[in-house]
Amino acid sequence: MTNETEKLLDLSKILEPYSDEWVALSETGEKVVASGQNVKEVFKKAKEKGEELPILTKVPKEYGNYVL
Amino acid sequence: MKFSYSKFPSSPNPAFPDKKHVKRPVVPIEVKYNGNKIKYLALIDSGADFCIFHAQIGEALGIEIKNGKVLEFYGVTGEKKQAFFHNISIIIGGWEKQCYCGFSHEFDENKMPYGILGQKGFFNLFKVSMDYEKEEIEPKHKENC
Repeated sequence: MTNETEKLLDLSKILEPYSDEWVALSETGEKVVASGQNVKEVFKKAKEKGEELPILTKVPKEYGNYVL
Repeated sequence: MKFSYSKFPSSPNPAFPDKKHVKRPVVPIEVKYNGNKIKYLALIDSGADFCIFHAQIGEALGIEIKNGKVLEFYGVTGEKKQAFFHNISIIIGGWEKQCYCGFSHEFDENKMPYGILGQKGFFNLFKVSMDYEKEEIEPKHKENC
């Protein structure tokens, strides 16, 4: 295993336009490559755009404040 | 391998008037089942008893969610929910581990947009150190697991 550090995933700006959608991020997490209402659709769209293993996440309407 | 914290959009509020983003221990993990693989963001949550992912992630992997063993669980809101447990693999920082993990249709993605990495399925397999100031998370796999 390497000792490298994964780069900070700064999603504070790029996710803002995708409220209430699932998104697929590029492998590095630097850009959104596909978005839509469900995981299967978004995963398929991202693969069609050549992103073999996109990072999936939901963008909620509000990220809120958690105490878990 | 070390991970960085992830930053998400947020808004100022009376308690934190300067808040522009929120920094959380959210890391990309790979979830694997039957040769299918999805990369997904998950929150490291030492307060969770087990790992739980959104049902849509399991369905996209080809898992028949309701064929799993059922568990009723409570979130912080106190609402009772159901999850169905399946044996899958998760890959974190290059380490692939077997994980008995719950999938739930009631795990509201608008309230919790990330998968949850909890005690059973994650903390029992990894020793995790987190440094908020340095924005670093370091999961080290336990040799005997």
